[in-house]
Amino acid sequence: MRVVTIPHYLDDRTFESVIEALQPWPPEGRVLFDARATKWASPYGFAALLTAAEALRAGGAEIPRLAVPESDDVRSYWAKAGFFVHAAEQFELHGKVPRRPPDTASDILLPITAVRGSEDVHDVVGRIQEQAARILTGELHLEARATLRFSMTLSEACQNVVEHAGSGGWVAVHAFTWRRRLGRRVAVIAVCDGGIGFRASLEPSEGRKFGDRWSDGTALEAALIHAVSRFRDPGRGQGLAAIRKYLTTWNGKISIRSGTARLSVVPAWDDDEPLETGQPFFPGAQVQIVIPAQEPLKE
Amino acid sequence: MILTIRVDELLQLTLSRPSRDLVTRPTGAAIRGSIERAIAATTCPTTLLDFEWVGLIDFSCADEVVAKLLRVVDAGVYIVLRGVDETQAEAIDDVLARQGLAVTALPRAGGLQMLGYTTPDLSLAFQMVHAAGSGDATRLAGRLGWSLERAADALQTLAMRRLILAAGGTFAPLPLQ
Repeated sequence: MRVVTIPHYLDDRTFESVIEALQPWPPEGRVLFDARATKWASPYGFAALLTAAEALRAGGAEIPRLAVPESDDVRSYWAKAGFFVHAAEQFELHGKVPRRPPDTASDILLPITAVRGSEDVHDVVGRIQEQAARILTGELHLEARATLRFSMTLSEACQNVVEHAGSGGWVAVHAFTWRRRLGRRVAVIAVCDGGIGFRASLEPSEGRKFGDRWSDGTALEAALIHAVSRFRDPGRGQGLAAIRKYLTTWNGKISIRSGTARLSVVPAWDDDEPLETGQPFFPGAQVQIVIPAQEPLKE
Repeated sequence: MILTIRVDELLQLTLSRPSRDLVTRPTGAAIRGSIERAIAATTCPTTLLDFEWVGLIDFSCADEVVAKLLRVVDAGVYIVLRGVDETQAEAIDDVLARQGLAVTALPRAGGLQMLGYTTPDLSLAFQMVHAAGSGDATRLAGRLGWSLERAADALQTLAMRRLILAAGGTFAPLPLQ
């Protein structure tokens, strides 16, 4: 049994320690994810954790175990975020799991939702709009039409899973105050899948052009920066380009991790690395989009 | 004669659950298929796609419904979008511009708009033809103080993109009523 400790604060950065603990991928033997001491999880943390379990099982591993958080408050929040509904299918759960069905806490715009096909994307877009309007214009002070742009962003991000992953995925959208990294309210979209990843998706059409340089990093650059698609159709590849355009308007950030690389379009308020390569392998693609409140940065 | 197609009605026929939002490629492809069949069955040269009751349209669906339709319809078929709101227009404009395509639109807020690829000359000529009615290149050149060659070039480009009608050296707005 391999024990993987879930960090106290589980987000896109700290999830890297989870990935590291799963190396070499796929790990041998059964995995126990120990979240007993975990205090908080971002939408990325929730979606990535489910992705890890699903990817392990897809690789033929025994169903992983998850020791749920010990704190009642944390468990309650995880339930509200919709995590346990899906976790019950992906993990053998250990510990007290709240029985209450997920309801929508004020900062959860979209509980964890499975994305398996285009009907799910319709469902996600339909569910998000009323909540998104309240958060985006009321709390993040974005212009009124941002709600529709936000929904389009979400739609395109989810379709990426349906069209390119070769598997299902998970999406979640939360709003919270990002004290440690920004000091203001943010809306965060996380879309994660454990599918084939950008490199394999683009390799048939792009791999030869790059030759020896072809890698997870160049595949991510081709998709996100150069709007390259695996399809020859001239209308393809516009989804990520559109997301980038909107994020530029909102001073937002997008990060995509796929395979052994992570590419970010980094706004001025962040000091993240634009491209990280040589990371521990994790299957599929994990996308995080951060939209900050439109207010001056604190000195 | 004009064929009017309510896009929201096609959406309801396509989806198993009610939705006003035009999202995803499979949905867009199914709707385009319905539009193509309706166009094939009519003798009307102009088809109005009515977006009045549609919610959002994402980029993938804008590509499937509008861009691909413009690529596949026959040369004598004119497509006009009606009732598009600002955000829908933005998505369609972006998708078409990237592919060098353009379409005539009647925005929800009123007026007339060319969405997609354009140049300052094309925009001006388009507005002028629709404001002043039928005319030839000489008339346009006179109104805008352009050379005859410049006016003829703009009008022919608009006609080639099916944004205006062309017949025997005369250029006319698309029939929209």
